[in-house]
Amino acid sequence: MLNDIVTKRKGDFSDGAHTELRCQKNLKRSVAFLSGNLTANSRSESEGVCARVYKDGVYGFSSMAEVSDSAADSVLKAASDNADFMARHAGKGRGELPPIFAEPVMTQYDLYDPEQKLYIDFARELDSYIAEKYPALSGRGIRVYTDCMEKYICTSDGADGHAAVPRSYIYIRLTADTKDGSPVELFEPVGGFGSFSDHFSSPSALFGKVDELYESLMKKREGIYPDAGLKTCILGGCLAGMLSHEAVGHTVEADLVLGGSVAAHSLNRQVASPLITMVDFAHTFEGAPVPLPVYIDDEGVPAGDEVLIRDGILTGYMNSRETAQRFGMVPRGNARAYSFSDEPLIRMRNTAILPGKSTLEEMIASVDDGYYFTDTNNGQADTTGEFMFGICMGYEIKNGKLGRALLDTTISGVAFEMLKTVDMVSDTMTWASSGFCGKKQPMPVGMGGPALRCKVTVGGR
Amino acid sequence: MKDLDKLTASIIDRLKSEGAEMAHCSAACGETREFNIDGGEFSLFRTLFDNSLSLTAVIGGRKGSVSLNSFEDSAVDRAIADCVAAANSSEPDDGWGLCPDANCDRFVKGAVEPDLDRLFFRVKELKETVERDYPLIVMEQMIVSHDNVHSVYRNTSGAHFTKDAGYYSVSLMFSAHEGELSSSFLGSGAVTDNLDSPFIELSSIRRDLEDVQKQIHTEPAEGKFVGTMVLCPGTLAEFTDSIVENFASDGTILDGTAIWRDKLGETVADPRLTVSFKPKDERIVCAPSYSGEGFYIDDFDFIRDGRLESFVLSLYVANKTGKKRSPNSGSGLIIKPGEKSLEEIISGIDRGILVGRFSGGSPSSNGDFSGVAKNSFLIENGKVTKAVAETMISGNLAEMLQNLRDISKETVSDGYTVLPYAAFDGITVSGK
Repeated sequence: MLNDIVTKRKGDFSDGAHTELRCQKNLKRSVAFLSGNLTANSRSESEGVCARVYKDGVYGFSSMAEVSDSAADSVLKAASDNADFMARHAGKGRGELPPIFAEPVMTQYDLYDPEQKLYIDFARELDSYIAEKYPALSGRGIRVYTDCMEKYICTSDGADGHAAVPRSYIYIRLTADTKDGSPVELFEPVGGFGSFSDHFSSPSALFGKVDELYESLMKKREGIYPDAGLKTCILGGCLAGMLSHEAVGHTVEADLVLGGSVAAHSLNRQVASPLITMVDFAHTFEGAPVPLPVYIDDEGVPAGDEVLIRDGILTGYMNSRETAQRFGMVPRGNARAYSFSDEPLIRMRNTAILPGKSTLEEMIASVDDGYYFTDTNNGQADTTGEFMFGICMGYEIKNGKLGRALLDTTISGVAFEMLKTVDMVSDTMTWASSGFCGKKQPMPVGMGGPALRCKVTVGGR
Repeated sequence: MKDLDKLTASIIDRLKSEGAEMAHCSAACGETREFNIDGGEFSLFRTLFDNSLSLTAVIGGRKGSVSLNSFEDSAVDRAIADCVAAANSSEPDDGWGLCPDANCDRFVKGAVEPDLDRLFFRVKELKETVERDYPLIVMEQMIVSHDNVHSVYRNTSGAHFTKDAGYYSVSLMFSAHEGELSSSFLGSGAVTDNLDSPFIELSSIRRDLEDVQKQIHTEPAEGKFVGTMVLCPGTLAEFTDSIVENFASDGTILDGTAIWRDKLGETVADPRLTVSFKPKDERIVCAPSYSGEGFYIDDFDFIRDGRLESFVLSLYVANKTGKKRSPNSGSGLIIKPGEKSLEEIISGIDRGILVGRFSGGSPSSNGDFSGVAKNSFLIENGKVTKAVAETMISGNLAEMLQNLRDISKETVSDGYTVLPYAAFDGITVSGK
């Protein structure tokens, strides 16, 4: 049904203008237990059709919450009218976008969408395990969350395609009180790309994860605040992933480059240690699928990898077709939209620093006085590359050995300065994909990296 | 257009016939017209036509909810079946409830129909004003839109609300540049129900542009000191959100981790501090009129003269904990202004920081926070001096409220909030 509506409209596209027509369906399933209470039990779906028309350097867009032939006609007309309006009032005299010559990219995924009962029963059993085994906890939360984005894309001068991105996660949160009665918490997402049953066979398979999280929480409960200041630290793989995405990745999105990001002046310059190579992967890393594979974007561009930093030199930006034309670069499938009512924006896919040659043990042993930060609960960065990450788990390192656990703190720095201090890179990768990137629209993204030894400013208390 | 009155009435009847002792349903259709400027240039004009339908049923104390964006018969049939199945799979819980009153009303709010020509004129005017008056500014993105929505709500208590609402919104993201040097980016914006004033005069947009132009040349604060933090209105809103979330909201009250859970009626802040949620205030343009449980939305004081007057709780958590439901869920934040001007407050500060934006993680459950002070200036010997970079601020939310130094008499209204500047002592500022 979705497919029929977009593909048969190609003949209706206006001459002399780049046109995209997309049908899209998003679904979400959510169940949450908060300290034993079932506080969320919901299912949501949205679907519709949209069109975007490019003319004289400006776009017109329209969407309608309906999947029908008449809706497709309506949005094509409205998008074309809007493009005409913009071209008349703010046309830029720019020519047509270079065409993309490619075969259709049709990915197939059969989503298994179980009834709500399965999620509730699963979460309830996991919650009961925590309640019975760890009664001294002051709070606990279990959230089951699945979503799926499926779209059919038809373009006037690019590839046509079908894309599906299903994700399934369980988020476990445990809270305990310190000796002085102050609450501390830890949080762990489990899951990834695919249907719920691809990741979760039975609640008991997650009991080990719960036990590990509890052990870490008990260490954190006895934890100390780190000393503030510039310190030699090891950032775990999930922090390297956060750094790749937040502090570097956004600055090399071409629309933000045009908006004044630090990377506007850094192309072909040394921005990191020669040990650093960073790539926005489309769908495959070392022969295996990345966390959230993307095979075609919403402008009809078949997706490929974009090398952003090679051996410490900034080598590229992530582009849409329009920014690629302006920068004289090649678009590699980064223009993506979150829902049927969203226009494609330049978005990361699976952004990662590549692994190096050191072992984590060697890296820890090399630090006399510093910290090993293992987990983050949030991160923010500026277009200047200045970043701040919340640290929710970590350890002090004294004389090459791990010491006491740490209470919550933050680290900060300027990405292109901090990355120059990296002098050891671990040989293992950690990937994450459970969150959303926010940039006008939300978007599921993957991020990853090895452990990095570097100098970074620690916030202390 | 689908008759939403009939649709919602039919859904409530069908959920009741499926055994629901309580149910509520909302249906809405809306239109958006939006102009985008990216990298300082016009880039996009969007028109969106959207629908939404949400239904909730409680069957034998078990609750299930479904939402979709279609009014088609087959989609509605499936949504009702899914909602009933979700409820039947759930757990009985006596916390779920509805307003017992059959409240019925019709609301018309704001500018329901857009004046598109005038809106485009205001967008061009704003773009040209920024280019002329603030030449160092690069506009990363400007989004100006008109949204309207027609919505209908019904529940099994007999409540029936209809609302037609529309408003204009302007949102800017920008930084200032000189050669290869640049400031941090800052967001600014407002929501309004009319196009009488140029957008640049709304909220703190003009001041934000001026400040960012002064933030190209920055230095880290020297060393570490304990001083005064002056929060600009937008940052004060973020800190207040964190205070509510950590100490007084559904999640932390229900799981018992809120450190204010037993503090109702007690002093939690300096007596000069009054924090209210007043969605009915005439300066609040965009706010709900009724709740999902069928209650009329009303104003309330969260903290009055330093005393904790109310938690911010849904009916469910109120029922579960025996505490009182709040008259709204935290919209229309208004903080009572003080007696002194911002300039007077700053003139009395020996060492501190004026914070335009806070880039920090979610504060810990105990209220500890730390993060980077962005778009911020040092205050030295009673004067705003240099713009700072790589400077962190840290403290504790609960202690901060007790250490209020002063509140400004100036306020900024952005259509969602009405807030002054506020100064707090005892904050750790650390640079290099």
